Amino acid sequence: MGAQLASYRDRQSQLLAIALAVAAIAYVVWKISESPEQALQFAFNGLSVGAVYALLAMGFTLVYSTVWFFDLYYGAAAAIGAYGVFYLRSGEALGGLYEVNEPFVNVAFAAVVAGVVAWALREGLYTRLRTRYRTRNLILAASLLSAAAGGYAGLVLARPNEIEVLLSPAIGVVVGLAVLWMVRRGHRLAHGRALTGPLLAVAAIVAAIAGGYCALLVADAPGSRLYLSWAVSCLLAGTVGLALYRGLYVHMIARARSPLIMLVASLGVLLAMTAATTIVFQAAPRPLPDAFGSDPVVIAGATIKGFNVFTIAVALVGFAGLWLLLKQTSFGKAVRAIGDDEEVAKVVGINTTVVIAVVFFIGAVYAALAGLLSGHDTAIQPRMGLLLLLKGWIASVVGGLGNLYGAIVGGFALGMVEQFGIWDLAGEWRDVISFGVLILFLSFWPKGLLPRK
Amino acid sequence: MELWANLIVLTWAVAFMLWQGVGFAITLGTVFAIWAILAVSLNLVVGFTGLLSIGHIGFFGIGAYAMAFLTSDASYEQLRTEAIPTLGWPFFAALPVSVVLAGVTALLVGIVFNRFRDDIFVLVSFGFAIIAFSVFLNLRSVTRGAFGIHEIERPAIGGWVLDGEVEFLVFALICLALVVLVCWLIVTSSFGRVLTAIREDEEAIAVFGYQVTHYKLAVWVISAMMAGLAGGLFGSWTTFIDPNSFILLESMLLVCIVILGGLATIWGSLLGAMAFVLLDEGMRFLPFIPSEFVGQARQIVLGILLVLLMLFRPQGLVGRYRL
Repeated sequence: MGAQLASYRDRQSQLLAIALAVAAIAYVVWKISESPEQALQFAFNGLSVGAVYALLAMGFTLVYSTVWFFDLYYGAAAAIGAYGVFYLRSGEALGGLYEVNEPFVNVAFAAVVAGVVAWALREGLYTRLRTRYRTRNLILAASLLSAAAGGYAGLVLARPNEIEVLLSPAIGVVVGLAVLWMVRRGHRLAHGRALTGPLLAVAAIVAAIAGGYCALLVADAPGSRLYLSWAVSCLLAGTVGLALYRGLYVHMIARARSPLIMLVASLGVLLAMTAATTIVFQAAPRPLPDAFGSDPVVIAGATIKGFNVFTIAVALVGFAGLWLLLKQTSFGKAVRAIGDDEEVAKVVGINTTVVIAVVFFIGAVYAALAGLLSGHDTAIQPRMGLLLLLKGWIASVVGGLGNLYGAIVGGFALGMVEQFGIWDLAGEWRDVISFGVLILFLSFWPKGLLPRK
Repeated sequence: MELWANLIVLTWAVAFMLWQGVGFAITLGTVFAIWAILAVSLNLVVGFTGLLSIGHIGFFGIGAYAMAFLTSDASYEQLRTEAIPTLGWPFFAALPVSVVLAGVTALLVGIVFNRFRDDIFVLVSFGFAIIAFSVFLNLRSVTRGAFGIHEIERPAIGGWVLDGEVEFLVFALICLALVVLVCWLIVTSSFGRVLTAIREDEEAIAVFGYQVTHYKLAVWVISAMMAGLAGGLFGSWTTFIDPNSFILLESMLLVCIVILGGLATIWGSLLGAMAFVLLDEGMRFLPFIPSEFVGQARQIVLGILLVLLMLFRPQGLVGRYRL
């Protein structure tokens, strides 16, 4: 009886899906025949809005499919991303009209960064070094290093107008280390043994030159300020996400009887952070500086803004990056193992705390990216995060919860449906359309477009 | 812990009343009564049945707008903004409509929402709150959108209009008492025990032949009707409503109240609502918080409290059920 009912429901859902798809295609064809220019315009808008949703959905799906609870912090992360850029660029680009620079904020973020660096040092180096050095010295060195990192982050936040000068050494070091790592890895792959002696010295010199060149390049280019601000605010949102997991969630997940506990706790986080954002920046909407010059191109009657194309590109690149990370690396394997069963993953020797913390970091970076991209496109508000997060959540349900492909497909699909939906209705009904889509999907196709296997 | 929580909140309330004078306490009392009705009714759904709904404010708004639409007698032609018909119903004719309208909406929404559970239910209840807000804001022919509706009726019994604060407070407390009574009757009846069983294990109680969906739908509708009642009271009390009173944030604060006070206890919700109102108004008098940040400061405190509760005391101050 149950199985029969289920198959009946399946067939009903399939029929409904076909009917809806036909109706949607008919509607779009009708719209195109009515006014092709406008149809192109709406389709483009749908793609660019969908790109933001897709970014959110990807970060969200990554986290959800690892720890299986909805973390509302990502709403705050989107707001941190947008307001971070505002914080760093409000001095110059907007004529200093809304300039904000609070020592309190700088110190708070510096503390978070210091804490996370200390944790990373402990997880990454302590176990390897503790046989060689005294514990006391290691603790001292780690405290100094993390304090320095925190101070550096605070300094960057406090002096946003010299961001390219302040950040160029760090970028140089990172690029240098990356080059060195790649050379060593390449050598090991090619020759089966580690790089040593004079070869290592040559590689180090090459890496140093590359790093120095990059540092100079960054310091010289005045246009890099905005992009560096993006990077900084994404990193900050990610760091806060990591700190939240390591400092708070990890203590709850073990004890939580249901995912709702985590959800309510993250609701508390979201409420507190939104309120703090409102106190620092006030509730009124604020503009972000223009990212590219505002010279829209008109193609076949549709106005196409360079920034929106860029947004779509970021979503695609973000998808590619996440795909590579999850499907091609051992880290991705670990993530999927934890998603399948955290206990078993622990048993086979995966450091679940570290892997999940990094997952939280990446998820928050994606959310922040989505927040700042949509912030450049429209205006930013302290409350913006929750609605964006809900859209990301809807997109991932539409695409298929816990599926990376579903996230990007669902994001773009939701954006398109929203934009074509508001063509005949007014723009203010777009949220209603989104949630209508959500309820439709949950009622008839709860597994989404691309179900997780 | 429970004793301490009770003592602290009640002492705080008394101290506050003595400090600020009775007049202020009366206003606070009305705010408390409205929040308490909402919290107690939401606790039926969240605490007793185990469905974490963040859309409760939608039913509150429906009640308030029904009251406003039916009883407002403002002459909008002078205001030269979008007009709605002036019906000028009396309060006591409109209040049942508020309640029933919220209930009917809940029935329709509940039929769709019934199949969802846990975090998916949270998501769709978010959706309901947002859809309701969009309707309040954009359905201008009924709600006048962002302009809001003015001159909503105060309750009148015979020729006696309850336009004083004290009379209204008494009326609101009577409503609260009624709601609490109904809730108490529900949770102590066999119906309430089935709800608790649904919360603990939905499949198990279904095996015993209970129609789980009917029970969930029934409690959902009852709870929404109570929220509609609170909405009617709220509209009549403030005599002016606009969509800003029904934003998603208020709904989240409401969930905070319920969880803070304690899940699956009526007394906990009363306590939570009292603590919430005191927190808000108490902060207004703290010298180091600028007046424009009072709401935000309260939100920060609530957020942190929520996190701490989830860490150390998932059942809330006096709750019986751990989420």
